[in-house]
Amino acid sequence: MANKLLTEQNIQVIDNASDWQMAVKKASEPLIKSKKITDRYVQSMITSVKENGPYMVLSDYFALMHARPGDGVNQVGMSLLVSKQPIDLAGKPVKIFFIMAAVDNNSHLESLQKIMTIFMDDQSYKTVLDGNKKQIVNLFAKMEE
Amino acid sequence: MKILAVCGFGVGSSMVLKMTLDKVIKDLGVTGASVENTDIASAKATDADVYFTSAELAPDLKESTSKPVYTIKRYMDKNEVGEKLKEYLAEQEEK
Repeated sequence: MANKLLTEQNIQVIDNASDWQMAVKKASEPLIKSKKITDRYVQSMITSVKENGPYMVLSDYFALMHARPGDGVNQVGMSLLVSKQPIDLAGKPVKIFFIMAAVDNNSHLESLQKIMTIFMDDQSYKTVLDGNKKQIVNLFAKMEE
Repeated sequence: MKILAVCGFGVGSSMVLKMTLDKVIKDLGVTGASVENTDIASAKATDADVYFTSAELAPDLKESTSKPVYTIKRYMDKNEVGEKLKEYLAEQEEK
């Protein structure tokens, strides 16, 4: 199930972005296009960082971007943006912007857990950071097996 | 021992922290420990032996519990989480 959420069309690799807000907007684009989220959710994520600081940066270069469930979310969605150059997010360098849009507090947790298992594996994490889109797509496609 | 991992919305960060805590507990060979995760509002009404959360949320949580609250900067960092857990375990032994 999880791999259906993080598929090729939801994964982007870029060289750099002008700032973290642009990166978050770009990372959210596939979810906006598929109408899983609205601009309101994107704004909420940005506001949350401005109000609460970079607590969404969970590890070196990794940000789990999210906001309050349901608000601006039509359907559970996840998307991924990898930047080859680090982008400053309120004082912390980030290369991986992982967008998580949830409708409530638990329906997405199983999928999220599977995906986080991949990010928490040192080898897979390195593959994501390397920024080869095909390899990244394969990494998450393999999950179903 | 009941450990509660806490984040702002209870959507994702606290679950990641729980996953890291589970790993660390296994690596350290700690027995009889269970980890749950929740958002800050529920956490205030949930009893646990020890709480792990971010520096931003810790003051709020400390107001509603007398149990120890440890702050974690990077929820995915096994070393940081491991150090804090060891700190807690060492303090428990002294008691």
